[in-house]
Amino acid sequence: MRVKRRIFLAAFLITAFMLLTILLLGNLMNLQRKEYVEDKMSIISDLNEIQTYTLMSDVYGNKLACLAFKKKLQEWDQTLWDLGLKLERYRVATEEFQKDPFYQEQKKKFNDNQVLYMSFLTKVNRDCELNVNIISFFYQNSEECKKCDDQSFVLTDIKRELEDEVSIFSYDMDLGLTNLDLLKEYYEIDQYPCVVINEQRFCGMQDKSFIIRKVCETNNLSVCTKYAIG
Amino acid sequence: MNLIYNIFVYTIWFLATYYVVLILLILLIGRDKLYEKARKSLGRKPWVSIIVPAYNEEAKISYTIESLKKVIYDKIEFIIVNDGSKDSTPETVRHAIGGDPRFIFIDRKQNKGKAASLNEGIARSKGEFVATIDADSVIEPRMISKVLPYFAEREVAAVTVAVRVKNPKTILHKIFELEYIIGLSLMLKVFSFFNGIFVTPGPFSIYRKSIMEKIGGFDEHNITEDMEIAYRIQKARYRIENCMSAKVYTIVPDTFRQICVQRKRWYSGAIYTLAKHRDMILNKKYGFFGYFMFFNYVLIFMGLFLFLYSTYLLAKNLLENLLYFQYTSFNFLNQLKYFELDYLMLGRTTILGIIAISFTILALLVGLYFTRTSASKRKMGVVGYPFLFFFYQWFWILSIISVVRGKKAKWR
Repeated sequence: MRVKRRIFLAAFLITAFMLLTILLLGNLMNLQRKEYVEDKMSIISDLNEIQTYTLMSDVYGNKLACLAFKKKLQEWDQTLWDLGLKLERYRVATEEFQKDPFYQEQKKKFNDNQVLYMSFLTKVNRDCELNVNIISFFYQNSEECKKCDDQSFVLTDIKRELEDEVSIFSYDMDLGLTNLDLLKEYYEIDQYPCVVINEQRFCGMQDKSFIIRKVCETNNLSVCTKYAIG
Repeated sequence: MNLIYNIFVYTIWFLATYYVVLILLILLIGRDKLYEKARKSLGRKPWVSIIVPAYNEEAKISYTIESLKKVIYDKIEFIIVNDGSKDSTPETVRHAIGGDPRFIFIDRKQNKGKAASLNEGIARSKGEFVATIDADSVIEPRMISKVLPYFAEREVAAVTVAVRVKNPKTILHKIFELEYIIGLSLMLKVFSFFNGIFVTPGPFSIYRKSIMEKIGGFDEHNITEDMEIAYRIQKARYRIENCMSAKVYTIVPDTFRQICVQRKRWYSGAIYTLAKHRDMILNKKYGFFGYFMFFNYVLIFMGLFLFLYSTYLLAKNLLENLLYFQYTSFNFLNQLKYFELDYLMLGRTTILGIIAISFTILALLVGLYFTRTSASKRKMGVVGYPFLFFFYQWFWILSIISVVRGKKAKWR
């Protein structure tokens, strides 16, 4: 048997078709990712509930509103955290050939929403004496801030371990958002990474035990006894 | 760098997939021709000489001689060339031959190498066709009558056969058994369909002596003389055929270290041969062969580069991750606990990888089917087969280092 040229051509066409299918599948998955992100973003961007609770607090007093807050805060916190993780992972999965402006845009929205939720949570924390632990993490891209990825890893690990005992908000300072600049000024952040643990600022790389120790100084956590701290 | 890396991954994926698709298509179209006998018959019984070069083969050569004694063909002679063995090969050979008049034993005291032994055997032979067989291989009795008809076509210079592993016992044997079934049996047949055979395997190949003499016999300075001769046959515009129904059984080294030594010789020999015949690459004069070789080696070296770079990235990533753990008192459990399976996290490159692995397994199973080999009886080999990819990269690295350092491996 002698192999005819058309077999080589057929193999080429089949391979090209396969590659095209994979590229299309990739595009389809990109769309699904974007859909997921947009869907979650619309949930956290819905400010009606926050406005309602704030109004209820003004009208009916803190006692009633605080009960409702407590229930809702946990749910918001989890949604925010999950979306933050997915945003980063989906961005990495998508950006094989070029940066997708969609994720940059969503990240801005996400950071804005984080500022909103953190401010609201801080207010509720004070008004209702909820003792929720709030950690804010300020970072830059890894090229400019070598330790920012390390710090992010530590905070992810803490969140996984402490779950709803701690609320962590991560702020990308490269986005140039006015809200973030205000926070930077307020907390007097002069270097990255920087973490603010229950209103106390600690700039430079902080390891897990240090952060947990600092949290335990203000509030009792399940891990405080586990690690015999505080 | 990420962009360049991704483009590189896509390119190599395309080339490798194209290669597999092409092979699968050829197999599909030519499935009835795989075991087909030669179309013409020689119409006569020419003399055939089988040459067995031997160097320190006291442990295995008697099996080879026993199998030769069982060959069913009248006009045959067996020439055993001892290449200055340091063990008791000569005594073993004499004892195994006994009084069989078909055997000629050349007991050379000086070690000159395999190619020189083969050339000496050819010079002493009276056959119109000369076959070479490794001293650790055994052939089936009807081998000669199966392969000779292919020479009815004047342009056929050599015929290769299916090379199989003799008595695979260990897991390594079982993995390499599949490699031989696919690579040194089925693929040779497929390559013969477009005159792309680039090696006439040492375990057994048969040549038309007049052409061997015309092209100057085996290259005594080459460590893979069976590959080099194939290039020269192709260069002289002759054809190399394959008879898949004829089988030779050979031994695979027992340890990975021994396999590394063997492969270092094969692969560095391949580089030397390619360098020697570089004028054939992409040269229209030599037909499709020059293009096929170019494609083959581009794929091999791109694959090697991709492997090395991916290994570097993986190691870097692992190290970075490991360093992260220093801040969490090395609490690995937390990470495992939150492992999430989300298909949307898969990028296109990962999908390419998954498809490539699936294709390797598919190609193996199709290959086993076409070689009438039971996959269920070779479960261990099938499971271990994908690891060959990593072995190959290691063999190539060793060989490239050896070539760069100018070290020539010996044939045994």
